[in-house]
Amino acid sequence: MTGADIAAVSPEIIVTAVALIVLVADAVFDRRRAALILPLLTVAGLVVALASVFNVVPAAQYFRGFVTIDAFTSFFRAVFILLAIFAAAVSPAYLASRRVPAGEYYAIICFSTVGAMTIALSSDLITLFIGLETMTIPIYVLAGIQRTDRFANEAAIKYFLLGAFSSALLLYGFVWLYGITKATDFVTIARVLTAQGIANGPTIVALALVTVGLGFKAAIVPFHQWTPDAYDGAPTPATAFMSVGPKAAAFAAILRVLLGALGPLGVDWSAVLAVLAALTMTGGNIVALAQTNTKRMLAYSSIAHTGYILAAVAAAKAGPSAGAAVLFYVFAYGLMNLGAFACLLYFDLEGTRGASLDELNGFARRQPLGALAFGIFLVSLTGIPPTIGFVAKFVVIQPVLDAGLAWLAVVIALNAVLAAFYYLRVVVRMYMYDPEEKQPRLVSGRALSVSLGIASFAVIVLGILPNSIYRWALEAAQPLVR
Amino acid sequence: MTNVLSLLVVIPLAGLIPLFLFRRDERAAKQVAITTTFVELVVSLWMVKQFVVGEPGFQLVEKLEWLPSLGISYLVGVDGISVLLVPMTTLLTFIAVLYSSGGAIKTRIVEYMTAFLLLEVGMVGVFIALDLFLFYIFFELMLVPMYLIIGIWGGPRRIYATLKFVIFTLAGSLLMLVGIVAVYLQSADASGSRTLSLPDLIELRGRFPADFQFWVFLAFALAFAIKMPMVPFHTWLPDAHVEAPTAGSIVLAGVLLKAGGYGFLRFGLPLFPIGVQAWLPVLIVLSVIAILYGAIVSAVQKDLKKLVAYSSVAHMGFVTLGIFVLNLQGGVGAVLQMLNHGFVTGALFLFVGIQYEKTHRRMIADLGGLANMWPLFTTFFGVFVLASLGLPGLNGFIGEFLVLLGAFKFGGVPLGGLFWGPLAAIGVILAAVYLLWMFQRVMYGPVREAYRALPDLSRLEIACALPLLLLTVILGVVPQPFIAYIEPSLDRVIRLATDPSFVVVAFK
Repeated sequence: MTGADIAAVSPEIIVTAVALIVLVADAVFDRRRAALILPLLTVAGLVVALASVFNVVPAAQYFRGFVTIDAFTSFFRAVFILLAIFAAAVSPAYLASRRVPAGEYYAIICFSTVGAMTIALSSDLITLFIGLETMTIPIYVLAGIQRTDRFANEAAIKYFLLGAFSSALLLYGFVWLYGITKATDFVTIARVLTAQGIANGPTIVALALVTVGLGFKAAIVPFHQWTPDAYDGAPTPATAFMSVGPKAAAFAAILRVLLGALGPLGVDWSAVLAVLAALTMTGGNIVALAQTNTKRMLAYSSIAHTGYILAAVAAAKAGPSAGAAVLFYVFAYGLMNLGAFACLLYFDLEGTRGASLDELNGFARRQPLGALAFGIFLVSLTGIPPTIGFVAKFVVIQPVLDAGLAWLAVVIALNAVLAAFYYLRVVVRMYMYDPEEKQPRLVSGRALSVSLGIASFAVIVLGILPNSIYRWALEAAQPLVR
Repeated sequence: MTNVLSLLVVIPLAGLIPLFLFRRDERAAKQVAITTTFVELVVSLWMVKQFVVGEPGFQLVEKLEWLPSLGISYLVGVDGISVLLVPMTTLLTFIAVLYSSGGAIKTRIVEYMTAFLLLEVGMVGVFIALDLFLFYIFFELMLVPMYLIIGIWGGPRRIYATLKFVIFTLAGSLLMLVGIVAVYLQSADASGSRTLSLPDLIELRGRFPADFQFWVFLAFALAFAIKMPMVPFHTWLPDAHVEAPTAGSIVLAGVLLKAGGYGFLRFGLPLFPIGVQAWLPVLIVLSVIAILYGAIVSAVQKDLKKLVAYSSVAHMGFVTLGIFVLNLQGGVGAVLQMLNHGFVTGALFLFVGIQYEKTHRRMIADLGGLANMWPLFTTFFGVFVLASLGLPGLNGFIGEFLVLLGAFKFGGVPLGGLFWGPLAAIGVILAAVYLLWMFQRVMYGPVREAYRALPDLSRLEIACALPLLLLTVILGVVPQPFIAYIEPSLDRVIRLATDPSFVVVAFK
């Protein structure tokens, strides 16, 4: 371990330090002051970490090949930190009103982000697995952080059991890979696989195990069963974070493993992934249609979005545009989905429940700014221009067609129509119904409104001027193509 | 000044700023919206003045790098097909806003005007965009404001109607998005650079193989056919029109439907000549069905607004028929028919709205004898009804006549133009039947006591109707100057569509 190694992982070190400082600060300050200082501390610390991402170290391998720093790493690091900042900024009012321990909450988000970042910089199965666990274990805690709520407990238990199960599957797949290739670093694995041919039993077993394990993490149908309950039961700001951070990280892992290590097997997995993508988006959307609770609806819809992202992964043979599509969509999805969940924080409801459709009636009259932001996020999730969600759909359809998967492109288009139906139903409730007699009380946190305002503005501005992000995504996708 | 087209996009957006500043003051908001749409109208006329008649290519072109990493640019321009549709749009929007500010809209004025200004950006943008990506954005930009206009300020079944409208339109346009991406990928040259700029694509269209054109044209055609709407995709239209507020109906019928016909002419025909040929029989037959079906269904409507809505289906049938007979007469007729339908049906919806505001009845059976009380109303309404049924001397005649002429000359479908042409002509007769019958039941007969005290047209209502009346007469009596605008560009489109090897250099 040299100085260069340490410098290479300085963003991770900073985020870890932020988490520790927050924990100490939580112990030092009294509750009222902590409620003010902790979010500020978290956001400020993460901004420093974000700046350090751009403090470029040479793109190379560090820690004797266990860590890779390249454009891909930087892109995902930035996305993870941005999402963590957003998640921290929307939370204070909710945490205060539900008496959720704030110190733990912010620290957990930071720890989980460190895990996610570790996935992005991994160039070895071991690093990747450590990153994955560092990311998920805090999230189990986060899901159950409202200890006295039984739905939160259910969510945490379910998430934990299935998460542990999928980690085991994944690890078992890694073991098979090691057995076949006698290596854990992606480059050697890819080289050995290419050399010894791919059509043999053990390789297929390893591939299947890895695909299923990662499928669980990313909530791909049919491995998605844990998602709705976990998302629904977790405290809403935690859900907002869970639905984007770990998902983005899962895709970072999928790209690193499938494209990096298992790239030679592309012919095998891309056909499977194309079918899974179609199943995932259709399944997620159809079940979302039937939901009357917006939190559950958004949970299912996030499954559908997984399908769109997966479609771009399946189109990997189209070259860098496929990787760029995944990265761009992950970024866009993170912004709009976290925003959409965060809009539910305006409602002061018992437990961890999300607002039902009826409770949204007339929301536009009661909280015009929140409703406008919610509307923008939903329109973006639908994929209607001029929002970033539309550009994301455009860049996903492109490699999918390029890879010769015209049927999948049509499935994406039709799914977007299905999704429009339930997304716009929410807009209908907010704007076209009058508020009823006993509507839930609204909480209006200034931090919440400001961060939602910024995010919804970004959704539109980046929808009109997406060039810089897309170019960055293209650059970041380059290292994946060997 | 060469940036007049961008100015047309910017003005309504700029209008949002004072609208936001005066968000507490409804009167000011109305004035801001009226002023903005009026300025937009004037600028669009100024744009027409700068247009050089007789030049077939795109004019007033502006190009700006926008998404260089994707080869997408901000590219706008007009030719003879779009140059008249833009002032039609701005005029109808101005009238819609003017009429709405008279008291027809009572709640949430500021939001309403915001929606209208955003809608205008989309509508104008659709007619000037020359990059498929940009076109798609404007095409969709029309969707959300109209969704809100119907859904918030519409009638009792507005939510059903507006969701149906959005879902139908979105289904079509998302498939078109797949088509656009397919075109984008297919446009790649040896060096891998791709484009979505229409003038470039027209030059490159030799790279589109036959089966590619077959499928991609279908994707585009579905989007446009739903927007038009063509039978059997028309079912959203009666619901949307009936539930929309009057101004929404005016703009929906007057402008939004034109985006479909325009899309066929602008993108479908020039880019996919082989695809067009393949789908031609289907489209012609569907057009004739639309003409006859629309007319027959109109005849049995009990609701005045629904009758006008279904008559739109028939009129749009003439537009598609004129487009797909692929000759100059038919094409010019189709473009004229789009303009005429914009003015006349816009006016008809205006008058149905005015009538409803006064009597609060829309069922034809509940009305009657209105002519005795409202001489002015009757005169205006009568002229528009006659124009709609194609009376010579008014504008409706010219368009339908040219379309039928083109249809008779056309031989590219089974049974030939001499079968389908006369069949479509029956539609003209049916139009006379249902429109005159409606006029008779609504305007004549005994005066009902309940309506006796109701006033005739107000000054505001006359101001809204007068420009439309003038245009109806002028277009009917001297269509030639308008045809002179349309003809050269249309000739080029027809040659592109009928001869896959025809190549033009798009810019001067």
